[in-house]
Amino acid sequence: MHHAKLIDSLTYPETANTHKLLFGIAAFAGILSIVGLFTDTEQFFFSYLTSFVFIASIALGCLFFVMIHYITRSEYGVTLRRIPETYASNIIYIAVLFIPILFGMQYLYPWTDEVLLANDQLIADKTPYLNTTFFIIRNIIYFAVWSFLGYKLFKNATTLDETGDWGIDTAQRKISAPGLFIFGFTVAFASFDWLMSLDPAWFSTMFGVYLFAMSFQVFFAVVILTVLYLRSKGLLTNTIKNVHLKDIALLFFGFTVFYAYIAFGQYFLIYYANFPKSILWYYDRLAEGYGTIAWMLLIGKFVIPFLVMLPAAAKSNMKIVGSMAVLIIALHFVEIYWIVMPLLHKGDVSLHWLDFAILISLSALFLGLFFNKFRKHNMVSNNDPKLQASLSKH
Amino acid sequence: MSTKEKNTFGILAEFKNPGHLMKAAKLTNKAGFKKFDCYSPFPIHGMDDAMGLKPSKLGYIVMGHGLFGFLGGLALQIWTSTIAYPINISGKPFLNLPAFVPVTFELTILLSAFGAVFGMFFLNNMPRHHNPLFNSERFKKVTDDGFFVVIESGDPLYNEERTRKFLEDAGAVHLELIEE
Repeated sequence: MHHAKLIDSLTYPETANTHKLLFGIAAFAGILSIVGLFTDTEQFFFSYLTSFVFIASIALGCLFFVMIHYITRSEYGVTLRRIPETYASNIIYIAVLFIPILFGMQYLYPWTDEVLLANDQLIADKTPYLNTTFFIIRNIIYFAVWSFLGYKLFKNATTLDETGDWGIDTAQRKISAPGLFIFGFTVAFASFDWLMSLDPAWFSTMFGVYLFAMSFQVFFAVVILTVLYLRSKGLLTNTIKNVHLKDIALLFFGFTVFYAYIAFGQYFLIYYANFPKSILWYYDRLAEGYGTIAWMLLIGKFVIPFLVMLPAAAKSNMKIVGSMAVLIIALHFVEIYWIVMPLLHKGDVSLHWLDFAILISLSALFLGLFFNKFRKHNMVSNNDPKLQASLSKH
Repeated sequence: MSTKEKNTFGILAEFKNPGHLMKAAKLTNKAGFKKFDCYSPFPIHGMDDAMGLKPSKLGYIVMGHGLFGFLGGLALQIWTSTIAYPINISGKPFLNLPAFVPVTFELTILLSAFGAVFGMFFLNNMPRHHNPLFNSERFKKVTDDGFFVVIESGDPLYNEERTRKFLEDAGAVHLELIEE
């Protein structure tokens, strides 16, 4: 057994301007989008919600991974844990990005409409839960919990970098165990609030797991692409090795199957029961252009990645895994679009420039925040008790 | 030494430590022996490469079984519900593919698991109640501190004297002829 040493530089090159470029793109696309806010207000809020859920779900997937990593005391991910840790620590900014949605509630959520409530007893009965005040309180709780977890885990980990106090590793586990428990509930209820209540007549008890399955699948894709980006810049090439990426690719493959299981499970139960109150949601989403998207999701998010990554050799070929990661990230956005947009454009898909402008703006901001933080700290947790074991992995 | 009425199984060579064993495995592989194996009390990283072992064929066996489960499960349901005994279930079509998914999925998993377990048994020549190596007193050390290479007599390159010499040169500290 050989003992690998940490030979790469752990500091992100100071001359790199990745974050500035990304912030520039975010600002430019953001200003364009604000024009859209005044010209197509309703479209703006629907597009905003779509892109918001896109970046929030990625950050939540990262947070979940970091906590799982700590409570399982895993070794394989130590060299790359700083990446999801950094993404998750930015949930505090995502909380700020949620504020515009509160101003668009009357466009997004029909249960805020008094006239509708007066005429629809079924929805009126849900108002003890679905009302503006409680909605805001709930979202404050979600973001308080996630921001705390993301920030605290990151803060502790960077303190460990400096002090080398291994007691912090135990503290991380003590945060992660209850953190995961609360995470499960908050993500489920957030999915009900953000997406399911867009159509207040409809419900699916699986919806929380569905959003989680989507988030965790896309998380692996994002981490793989981030590592490949760092590699292309010649960073951490001897620290995050192919063995580490192969483990992530295996989990990526596994959670692709998990996603398909949950997404199909939800569809299957509703399809087979065939109750008008629940089937209508799918009825809208299988009509015309939305039906094409549904097939695209089935084939692109499950069949293709499953068949392509099935051979053992494919999972260690980073060109193959990387291209599957791109496919999954793109289709993750498409899937959120497919969940949200049939409520605005009933009947058929109608793309709007705001969909893209806001997507570019929020994604660039999300990545800019990541690189801005990532360059200020060590790129690898250099004092982690399990770093040596992780480096020696083969 | 060897009694003529019994067949020899092979030559058992003991090595001092994992490093020597690894070296011997490399040499044996390089010399062109095919029917040989290494035994140690614990797994040694890199041994597969040293011995020149090819990746296991188990994956293909599992794949075959999985495909059989997938197609078989689908065919069974299509045949029963459209040809053999079509029943109208709340007005749904007879050929109702989404409804066939759970059974197809489960059969794919079940047969893949059978393929993995029984394929492993098959590839390892199991169940096998006795191995000639257990005739050797010395081989019992393999669960404690013994590192062994066995070259079987079935190997085309096997020649008792030359193989013995070869293993001695490879650094064996003890040699023993194993009988069937």
